[in-house]
Amino acid sequence: MFGDMTCSDARRFEAIDESQAAFVMDEDTFRAFYDRTARGVWAYLARVTGDRQLADDLLQEAFYRFLRADSTHDSESHRRNSLYRIATNLARDARRRNLIRIPAVVTGDDIERVAGGGDHAVATERQADVSRAMSRLKPRERAILWLAYAEGASHREIAGVLGVGTDSMKSMLFRARRKMAALLGHSK
Amino acid sequence: MNSVECEFEAEVLAAVVQSRWPERTDPVLRAHVENCGICSDVAAVAGVIDGCQEEMRSAAVLPDSGRVWWLAQMRARREAAKEAGRPITVAQVLSLACAMGLLGACFGATSTWFQGTLRGAGAGFEWKTLASGLGSVVSEHGVLAALALALVVGVPGAVYWVVVRE
Repeated sequence: MFGDMTCSDARRFEAIDESQAAFVMDEDTFRAFYDRTARGVWAYLARVTGDRQLADDLLQEAFYRFLRADSTHDSESHRRNSLYRIATNLARDARRRNLIRIPAVVTGDDIERVAGGGDHAVATERQADVSRAMSRLKPRERAILWLAYAEGASHREIAGVLGVGTDSMKSMLFRARRKMAALLGHSK
Repeated sequence: MNSVECEFEAEVLAAVVQSRWPERTDPVLRAHVENCGICSDVAAVAGVIDGCQEEMRSAAVLPDSGRVWWLAQMRARREAAKEAGRPITVAQVLSLACAMGLLGACFGATSTWFQGTLRGAGAGFEWKTLASGLGSVVSEHGVLAALALALVVGVPGAVYWVVVRE
């Protein structure tokens, strides 16, 4: 991270006043917020991108951008939505830069666990089914479904995270759900 | 109710996420879901996604919050330092460009060869004239030409040497 820093950079770096590098959020608040939300955001990114390693990278970037955003939040849900909006934009940028490889949420370890049998095998098989079905959806459809049914976000919250109108979002959710149900073999 | 949502959707979703679906759900709601395409999709899709989201969350190998905070602080400071250094670099480049411009202006004003070439350019360009002109500029303004060359090569070299030494 600091490998290409020259001595003059380092002097300037030392000279930077604490206030210039400070974030709106203090450390304790950030750490508590991170502990509450990081797993959910990671799962969301892994699901939307279909790539766990990319989700690791995007997670750190999302929290960094969230801290740098210099905006205050009225409530925990407002703060959380901002973070998800940043994560969504990062996933979209990664897709544009062709960083997303689909599908990769089912790993070699998962396949071994399925072969091993038991409850874990059932769970892993279910994961594999969901991954397979989701990999055939568009990233935005994956995002909508995950936010609606894994994160329990309201229509308004999902619309805010994706930057679309609530009515458009309802139509998109309807189509995504229809498609997913058909892929899972549940469609009527 | 319209074609993309159903008034019972939220109830079905609540039953699924609270693990009440389908056994511990009101039979009227179950009967509705049987006949409603939207609600049956909600039950099916929400069921599988809700079922795997906990496993997905537990699969995350996350860095410690303290480490994430520290890295963010370091990166923010680094970016601030870079931002602070930008005007200095711009000023250095501008002053170098001004010095080169001044030198060129002095050369243009004092060189009879340069002024002659400018006048000749209107009549038509010839390589032979340029070659003989270069010869005469070295003989007439040798010191000035050497100084210009030294500045063009020497100044960037000196800047690079200083930066590397730092």
